[in-house]
Amino acid sequence: MSPRSHRSGPKPPSLVVNLVVLAALLGFLALTVGTAYINMGPANVVANVGIAVAKAILVLTFYMRLKSDSPLFRIVAVSGFAWLAVLIALSLADLLTRPA
Amino acid sequence: MSVNVADSPFPTEQGTDEPNPESYLDAGYGLRSWLTTHDHKRIAILYALAITFFFFAGGLAAALMRLELISPNGSLMSAEAYNKTFTFHGVVMVWFFLIPSIPATLGNFLLPLMIGARDVAFPRLNLFSWYLYITGGLFTIACLLFGGVDTGWTFYTPFSTMFSNSNVMLTVVGVFIVGFSSILTGLNFIVTIHAMRAHGMTWFRLPLFVWSMYGVSLVMVLATPVLAMTLALIGLERLLGVGIFDPALGGDPLLFQHFFWFYSHPAVYIMILPAMGVASELITAAVRRRIFGYSFMVYSILGIAVIGFLVWGHHMFVSGQSMYASIVFSILSFIVAVPSAIKVFNWTATLYKGDITFGAPMLYALGFVGLFMLGGLTGLFLAATALDVNLTDTYFVVAHFHYIMVGGSVMAYLGGIHFWWPKITGRLYSEAWARFAAIVMFFGFNLTFFPQYLLGYEGMPRRYHVYPPQFQVLNVLSSAGATILAVSYLLPLAYLLWSLRYGPRAGANPWRAKGLEWQTSSPPPVHNFDQTPTVTEGPYLYDESP
Amino acid sequence: MSTTPTAVQFDDAVQQREAATLGMWTFISTEILFFGVLFAAYTLCRTRFPEAFAEGSRHTDVLLGTAETAVLLISSCLVAVAVREVQLGGQRIATWLIAATAALGVCFLTMHGFEYVSEYHEGLVPAIRYTQSGPSAGQMEIFFCLYYFITGFHGLHVTIGVIVLLVMARRTHRGDFDQDYHTPLEMSALYWHLVDIVWIFVFPLIYLIGRSG
Repeated sequence: MSPRSHRSGPKPPSLVVNLVVLAALLGFLALTVGTAYINMGPANVVANVGIAVAKAILVLTFYMRLKSDSPLFRIVAVSGFAWLAVLIALSLADLLTRPA
Repeated sequence: MSVNVADSPFPTEQGTDEPNPESYLDAGYGLRSWLTTHDHKRIAILYALAITFFFFAGGLAAALMRLELISPNGSLMSAEAYNKTFTFHGVVMVWFFLIPSIPATLGNFLLPLMIGARDVAFPRLNLFSWYLYITGGLFTIACLLFGGVDTGWTFYTPFSTMFSNSNVMLTVVGVFIVGFSSILTGLNFIVTIHAMRAHGMTWFRLPLFVWSMYGVSLVMVLATPVLAMTLALIGLERLLGVGIFDPALGGDPLLFQHFFWFYSHPAVYIMILPAMGVASELITAAVRRRIFGYSFMVYSILGIAVIGFLVWGHHMFVSGQSMYASIVFSILSFIVAVPSAIKVFNWTATLYKGDITFGAPMLYALGFVGLFMLGGLTGLFLAATALDVNLTDTYFVVAHFHYIMVGGSVMAYLGGIHFWWPKITGRLYSEAWARFAAIVMFFGFNLTFFPQYLLGYEGMPRRYHVYPPQFQVLNVLSSAGATILAVSYLLPLAYLLWSLRYGPRAGANPWRAKGLEWQTSSPPPVHNFDQTPTVTEGPYLYDESP
Repeated sequence: MSTTPTAVQFDDAVQQREAATLGMWTFISTEILFFGVLFAAYTLCRTRFPEAFAEGSRHTDVLLGTAETAVLLISSCLVAVAVREVQLGGQRIATWLIAATAALGVCFLTMHGFEYVSEYHEGLVPAIRYTQSGPSAGQMEIFFCLYYFITGFHGLHVTIGVIVLLVMARRTHRGDFDQDYHTPLEMSALYWHLVDIVWIFVFPLIYLIGRSG
């Protein structure tokens, strides 16, 4: 049965899954705040952004049902982020390669 | 394509004298029935009226500019007034005419018809988009009434944020609002095309006009939000004077330009993709043949939409952008020409050894192909960094984009208006006047803008109201051309309006064209089809036996 | 069986839900780009002024910021469970969960309001009350400009979300939704999750720079 055949969308994740995701999100929050107080140089930014991406993926996949709904929605969601990445990447490429 | 619909009650293809009793135009006559409509066809007409107003407003500004440029001494207006005039021309023509023109008028009217749907996915949102457009337009007119804005439509910082004494905020708010009109229209079209195609209307059976609406909607949805927030940042800087974009305060003017052009380059693809879609429809109907290379045409539309987002830095070659970034943008700008070229080849191949009828729509379509190609080729000159250093901010650039936007988009728009006029209004226009106007337009256009290539090549800068006297001859030629061009725009206004009252009534399919929109009456009933069609074959399947 | 009829432009309820969901996801994509421009401005400015941004970040209230993040994450879970409840036929618990989500949203706004007030008193509001001095005061002003714009724009979205959720709570309570039809609730939940995701990125980028020695 295709995920879109039921009138109201795909089967929801179980209550346990919802709560486990919340625990993971709060755990990531603690991690990101904790590591902010440790001086890791440039790794701080990487860690912070990386953890934020992980949290976002959890929310997108489970709470927003991207995993179980139509693949089209995944493409749409990714497009927004991808286009933003293009804007930042090429602008940064200019900024970082200008003569001092 | 082969269609199963209930037997049409209007079997004749010649004009009949009987009005169509179920027409969407007859479903309510008062102003209120129009201003509260959910019907995509009526919304299309609301847009058409509004953009025609703005076209002539922007055109008036252009007329003033060309008048001023007849003499090299700037006798008609002050420099500041001239700055305000070209800014008004740019702002109005880009955001209030070109960007909405084909999508919001022809797109709104035809998209549901072409895919066999009863309306767009979100009809109320569609009406709301029109009200947003009108609100944005009112802000822009208010700006004009309060003395105008002199920054150029590009709002370069820090002039626009720190130094201009003109009504920057009013304009910025107006464009911000009209941007949402664009975004919501794009969203509506994307959902409509994905979710509401009739049975059997698979993706690769869609007419190319629908594909072009899809491509343009993708660009509108992904690019316009960036414009909105960039304008908001201008507003913020102007209000607070903080200096994000002001080098004197440690800011970076290129930051603004990156954000602005990230939208504004794809914006030009918003302006051309629908024109390409229209051209494909007009050419196939006039040659009565399948389009050559349908799938390449589809992939080209998508290719233009995607690659168009990667080239914006070619507007910034001399602004201080790093040389390495410029090289990358230059290469990508050459690449983006390829899908456009493929389309030009395919239109030409479609015509090869064909039996062509030279009606007015076809004249516009041919004009489109030729002028778009010329404009596109000059884009390659500008993509080369070494050449661009000399040509940027000269009339060469002005000629380049007018060849594409006016010779391209506007001609395609007019061609489409003529082609679908019988479907939209139920009337036939005067073919003789239409052909005459098209030819006058082609001549007037070239006389206006070809001299500008030469002026730019010789070094005349743009946005100047005075110039060295050796440029006068070419400027006078250009202004003469502009007069002829203006007349050629007034002609369709006249004979099309005349046809509404006195033109013969049109049958369902006066051009004997293929396409679902021709399978319903002219004008269509409110819900488009008496019975939703089932599609069994691809587009443009004209009988090809000799 | 829900008595809500399918809108006239759609063939059936499945098509209607598909259209609504695609429309909402497309809208979410545009929101990513709206906020994205501000994040891009932030990235490019921070690349140019790393010390000034770190100094600005140290002026923000990390305790309140962390609490706000936790509040939004919990609210996301609540509304996701609420949609699940309605999808499985529930109504009463779902209504309370949606109302609780809205309440947490108000909690978020209140906490952030406190932040704004104390930042005003500390003289950290560009052009309105900015009393910082020192070599990087001007660049730090840019940080705070972006801070207020991003958090203010986000706060606007939270406010809209709260109002929408309250409407949804009322409609759930009235029995407008059932197992077969609850699209408006689903779409509202998607919007709320978007608001949460934006904050997930805002929090480390604004509050957690330069916290280590």
